[in-house]
Amino acid sequence: MSRVRSSSRLFTLVVYLVMIFTVAVCLIPLLYMAALSISSPKAIINNEVFLIPKGITFESYAKIFTYPNFFRAYGNTFFYTFAGTAISLALMIVFAYPLSKPRLKGTRGVMKLVIFSMFFSGGLIPNYLLISSLRLTNTRWAMLLPFAINQFNLILLINFFKTIPADLEEAAIIDGLDWMGILLKIILPLSGAALATVGLYTAVFFWNDWFHGLIYLKSSQFPVMLFLRNIVTGTSMVGDAAGAGDKSTIAISIKSAVIVTSTLPIIVLYPFLQRYFVKGVMIGAVKG
Amino acid sequence: MRGNDQKNKGRLYFIRYWQLYVMMALPLLYFLLFKYVPMFGNVLAFRRYRPGMGPFGTEWVGLTYFRRFWSDPAFWRAFRNTLVLSLINLVVNFPIPIIFAILLNEVRIIPFKRMVQTVSYMPRFISTVVVIAILGELLSPSSGIFNILRQQLFGKAPIYFINEEKYFRIIYVLIDTWQYTGWTAIIYLAAITGISPDLYEAATIDGASRTQQIFYVTIPSIMPTIMVMLILNIGRLLSLGFEKVLLLYTPDNSMVSDIIDTLVYRTGLANQNYSYATAIGLFSGIIGIILVSSSNALSRRLTGEGVY
Repeated sequence: MSRVRSSSRLFTLVVYLVMIFTVAVCLIPLLYMAALSISSPKAIINNEVFLIPKGITFESYAKIFTYPNFFRAYGNTFFYTFAGTAISLALMIVFAYPLSKPRLKGTRGVMKLVIFSMFFSGGLIPNYLLISSLRLTNTRWAMLLPFAINQFNLILLINFFKTIPADLEEAAIIDGLDWMGILLKIILPLSGAALATVGLYTAVFFWNDWFHGLIYLKSSQFPVMLFLRNIVTGTSMVGDAAGAGDKSTIAISIKSAVIVTSTLPIIVLYPFLQRYFVKGVMIGAVKG
Repeated sequence: MRGNDQKNKGRLYFIRYWQLYVMMALPLLYFLLFKYVPMFGNVLAFRRYRPGMGPFGTEWVGLTYFRRFWSDPAFWRAFRNTLVLSLINLVVNFPIPIIFAILLNEVRIIPFKRMVQTVSYMPRFISTVVVIAILGELLSPSSGIFNILRQQLFGKAPIYFINEEKYFRIIYVLIDTWQYTGWTAIIYLAAITGISPDLYEAATIDGASRTQQIFYVTIPSIMPTIMVMLILNIGRLLSLGFEKVLLLYTPDNSMVSDIIDTLVYRTGLANQNYSYATAIGLFSGIIGIILVSSSNALSRRLTGEGVY
């Protein structure tokens, strides 16, 4: 009996160690960046900074917001995220609602189109040529339109709408509401969790997208992630980082400040939406 | 009479449901334009492209481009790199979320469990660019913590990890572990939550320890979920994290880091060989759909249920 108990205690210990390790591994890279971004260049060059900042200064933050390139890219990202999420949600809602009625004629065929496109797609080049022949390259639409409907998110919404009892709609029809009215006044108010989930996924997608900016946009339209990527690959300089002190250490604290600033909105938003999306993942996982 | 009836029925149906069809019209149009036009754009793989003459090319050239990449060593290198990287990734990153979910389920302190969940899902939301940028700092030869430790503890010369061929695959796989372990575990956690408590009670009465309960109750109960996920993953074998590879790609590690997607990107967009790149992309797309449908058929045979 006591052997069982001590082995069970050992097991518990292992479980908690694994969990603490996981949490540490998830957080340390971010904390490291945060520490670098507020440490003095001198402490960084002497390799004194790991998780605890040294010689605390917010100079690098003050600096990056004086770089016109960064400031503009940050603003662009906010625009892409808000506009992209709004367009996406609007289109996906009006698509998902009719598709959530399997008895409506034609919906099965449309569903097949949607599902097929998840497994076979145009690929990079045909998509690129479509966007350029629509003359969307070098316009902000190129960041928004091609990604407005994501099939996984659409199916998640459809599955959620299906769980809303039909009685509610029938009662609303008797009360004289039309379908648009039902969608706006009955369905959407009940769909907070699903909309929050899909909204979060969509917003994160637009916030993090850089590749499509790279192939479709000119530099004044770049999102902040592309700006960051260009710093990392050395394609572009961070403003004019030349000045007093060692160039590379200035770049490190500045780079860290860019990383923190461009990740912060997601990290701030995320815990508020977290309680919804776990539920959302499960709805999405149910067979469509 | 009956025809008339049906016509009436049709009209009634239309009067009742027209709004729903109007709702669908715009997104459906969108769908055809942005998903199906590019799909048909794949015909470019069989046609010659001329700038300014539209996205579908100008004249049929048959299998010219397919023959060309078939005899191109760069293609076969990319093909092999894709498969190797995918397989390593599958072997490492398929079991980890399962183990993580099982162990997380053993955590009895609920606030701690919630905290671990919140933290471990988060990496999935962080931009790949940011992940690679942080990694670049951590592994930097001059200021990265790994190289500093190597130097201070073992007196070894710094290594430029990101640039070296032999570290590319392990770096890619570990980034994937970091980004998706917590997120993927959600599905297994949900499956574990669905296990009837009676089974555990019976096991406890039979004197099973907690580790025995994991092997005799938890794992067998979530086996169907594990199988479905495995099949899904095999179906996606050719689709690696393209953006991640592109960000990690350097001329120095290109022998192992050039995968099909990066090859398509380079030959297509950088060198503007549109037709040639489309042919390569189409080929890998077709293999992809074969993998998905055959793994789905396998799932039907094994579990009596397809994933799709």
